[in-house]
Amino acid sequence: MAIKTNQPVSIRLDGIVKRFEHNVKGNISAVDNVSISVAPGELLTLLGPSGCGKTTTLRMIAGFEHPTEGSIYIGEQNVTGLRASERNIGFVFQNYAIFPHLSVFENVGYGLRVKGTPEAEMTKAVNDVLELVGLGGYAKQQPHQLSGGEQQRVALARAIVFQPRILMFDEPLSNLDAKLRTQMRGEIRELQKRLGITAVYVTHDQEEAMAISDRIAVMNRGTVVQIGTAEGLYARPCNEFMANFIGKANLARGRVVQVDGDGAHVKVFDQVLCCRQPDTPATVGEDVMLVIRPEQISLSKDAGSGCRGRIAKRTFLGEKTEYLLAIDQQIFQVCAFGHSQQALFTEGETVQVHFPAQDNHLIRS
Amino acid sequence: MSALALKNKARPDLFFSLIVAALWVLLAFFVLYPLARLFGRAFTTDAGVFSIAPLLKILGNGNDMRAFGNSLMLAATVGVGGTLLGFLYALTAVRSGLSPRWTRIIDTVNLLPLISPPFTISIAILFSFGTRGLITYDLLGISQYSAYGFVSTAAAEIVTYFPVSYLTLRPILAGIDSSMENAAFSMGASRWRVFRTMTLPLALPGLLNAFLLMFSASLADFATPLILAGNSFPVLPTEAFLQITGQFDLQGGALLAILLLVPAAVVYFIQRHWLGERSFVTVSGKVAQRSHVEILSPLARKILFTVCACITVMVLYFYLLLLYASLVLAFGANSTFTLAHYHTIFTDGMPVIVDTLIISVIAMPLGGLYGMLMGYIVTRTRFAGRRTLEVVSMLNYALPGTIVGIAYLLAFNDPPFDITGTAFILIACYVFRYSPTGIRATVALLHQIDQSLEEASESMGARSGHTFRRITLPLIMPAFFTGLGVMFIRSMTAISATIFLISISWNLITVRILENMTELALGPAAAFSVLVVVIVYVVLMIISYLLAHLRAQSSGRVENILGG
Repeated sequence: MAIKTNQPVSIRLDGIVKRFEHNVKGNISAVDNVSISVAPGELLTLLGPSGCGKTTTLRMIAGFEHPTEGSIYIGEQNVTGLRASERNIGFVFQNYAIFPHLSVFENVGYGLRVKGTPEAEMTKAVNDVLELVGLGGYAKQQPHQLSGGEQQRVALARAIVFQPRILMFDEPLSNLDAKLRTQMRGEIRELQKRLGITAVYVTHDQEEAMAISDRIAVMNRGTVVQIGTAEGLYARPCNEFMANFIGKANLARGRVVQVDGDGAHVKVFDQVLCCRQPDTPATVGEDVMLVIRPEQISLSKDAGSGCRGRIAKRTFLGEKTEYLLAIDQQIFQVCAFGHSQQALFTEGETVQVHFPAQDNHLIRS
Repeated sequence: MSALALKNKARPDLFFSLIVAALWVLLAFFVLYPLARLFGRAFTTDAGVFSIAPLLKILGNGNDMRAFGNSLMLAATVGVGGTLLGFLYALTAVRSGLSPRWTRIIDTVNLLPLISPPFTISIAILFSFGTRGLITYDLLGISQYSAYGFVSTAAAEIVTYFPVSYLTLRPILAGIDSSMENAAFSMGASRWRVFRTMTLPLALPGLLNAFLLMFSASLADFATPLILAGNSFPVLPTEAFLQITGQFDLQGGALLAILLLVPAAVVYFIQRHWLGERSFVTVSGKVAQRSHVEILSPLARKILFTVCACITVMVLYFYLLLLYASLVLAFGANSTFTLAHYHTIFTDGMPVIVDTLIISVIAMPLGGLYGMLMGYIVTRTRFAGRRTLEVVSMLNYALPGTIVGIAYLLAFNDPPFDITGTAFILIACYVFRYSPTGIRATVALLHQIDQSLEEASESMGARSGHTFRRITLPLIMPAFFTGLGVMFIRSMTAISATIFLISISWNLITVRILENMTELALGPAAAFSVLVVVIVYVVLMIISYLLAHLRAQSSGRVENILGG
């Protein structure tokens, strides 16, 4: 592969604020005091519900928007005041933004032409990159002759061919069907790793974010709620929003009955469950919530002591079975994998509920 | 999120800052300055003191007030008549199951009044219903029949302008979702009830808009009343003209023009701020060929088709009559075939033809470029005063031509800007008066072009000038051609503003036709009219061909192809 790459660089956002004049709501902050660092060669995803400010943040890194306050660094360079054309970035748009009046070759070669690359060198680079994204032989095609997936590859080729310092993706897979989406996200990740280029990726699809990212920054209402690896965010959500946003979660209300070292004992229903203390530790007598994932709860038919619940609903989904379980007035989601005897519970049946005894995750209310 | 992003447009860099500055200078000189001079002249005494006494004098003048009243009455009549006729046509085209071939024929004939000099129909009406008219004298044997006055003026304006109302209403009727009407049918409503309770209310904003377009077209129309109104039916634009050319009373003319501004401004306000928020039907620009025939009974369809066919035949008859008049020795007296009139216009009239063509051919690309640039600037960049720039750029277009003409006369007739009578002032007048069609077409097209295309170019290192040349410009070419077409049609056919600005060295075909008419040289007048229609038609065909070649649809809005 002949595509040359630069030394990977870091990206740093320092207290970024973006305010807009809104006709009705007045002055609103789309992005409010966001500080993020992306390590060289890392792929960081901005994940969040629509309207959370993730796209605006990405567009500010690219230079399509300019922050009201704060600074943006690419490598050691402060790029806050620079135009997009001066930042040397590759950007893949949600709608691909393929120039409809130019051929695939001209689309991909556009950035090189802008830089005044000699014709022979450009031709080679374009053909190499088309080969790389699996579009060898497509150079002369017109955009309207391409399928959605092919357009996506052209957009990708166009964004990397001129050796940008960083790569940015704005929901690049949202226009593809589910199967192609899974395939393309694998290819994008593969390519980014191979080029070793620092990348920022925006999506609202948490599965996509978990599959593709080194780290994920979850945003809500213009702020970053939590940053971490997919595993970290799933296991240790920092609040109720995070617990519900990444994966499914049961939030069991309980009261701290005992604290020792970095652990806390929380009474949920009639069971005492052990938890790890959060950064600011909970105290005895405090009302807290435990994040219990559906697959952490197990059910059994034996009539021992402890918590009992009634199966309110059963949904069989092939490799797993999902239950809605009513305990007192609370509804819990339970997920059982495989065709174990758990799959045999029927709606209306009363069962024994086993919460994980150790290492639960505690959220302070 | 994306809505917010869209609102955040790029600040113009040096390249566009210079263009914005240049546009402001041009608009200040060719739009604001003449209007300031118009108001200045209207409200100052000869000694240079501000005074409203001249205005009060006009308001107390019976004849002027009658002209004001006549103008409003004429405009209202044309508004109602033109809207009704346009609606009938639209209903026929969209809902009567007409074959595409018939629709095309109707559309082609309807195009004629839009591309001919504004008084063509008036001349044909005189040929038919005048003292020696083909219908009144030859056919019915009535002598001494006067074709002048309110009725003929209104009729001529309705026939001239109704195609605008038709082309405005057609996409609205076509855009009404048939499932709504079908839902009403399914609940047991009769055809008439569905029409009354569904179709009509949904088309109401469109009807009102068509009425306002007709109203303002008639209000501003100068040529038709000049030929057909006669002495008994004075209207404001012609009175203002006569005040200036007949009595050399510039102040009186300026004041009458300002009087004309009042209803024009009211119409503009209603359209922009009131009607804009009340459209129920989203018009995508595409006229969908869906089956809509349920709403009209077979009998109603036959009646509609017959009415439309009759009117189309009448329009066609008017134009054939014009052609006939250009080919006989003396219309109404001697029907011997001759090419003498064409000989006359290509010898004596040649300088006028050349002048008009030179001015049109220069104005066309200038106006096209200006329209495209202005459309781009107001849509894609963000800077203080952008909205104001847009409004000012539309002013000369929104104002009746008589006002613009008098303002230009006042502004550019004396030092330091003594340029009345030059080709330059005529071209400038056309560019700033008729390029708003190009501006709107560009704006409409740019709204369809996702901003991410320009951002993609920028992300690859291209500066705004490069992006504009390589990405935006090729994509808005269809709007440019639309602008070119309208610039050319209007430059070839306009009269209301430019009649104040012509001179011995630079004259226009339209003005010459008017002179011929007053000298009763009907043959040359007819020959000139036929020539203009042919030239404009040929140029339009060439532009359509180029547009089709670009594989893009013309996005020009019909309402802009108004006469003037």
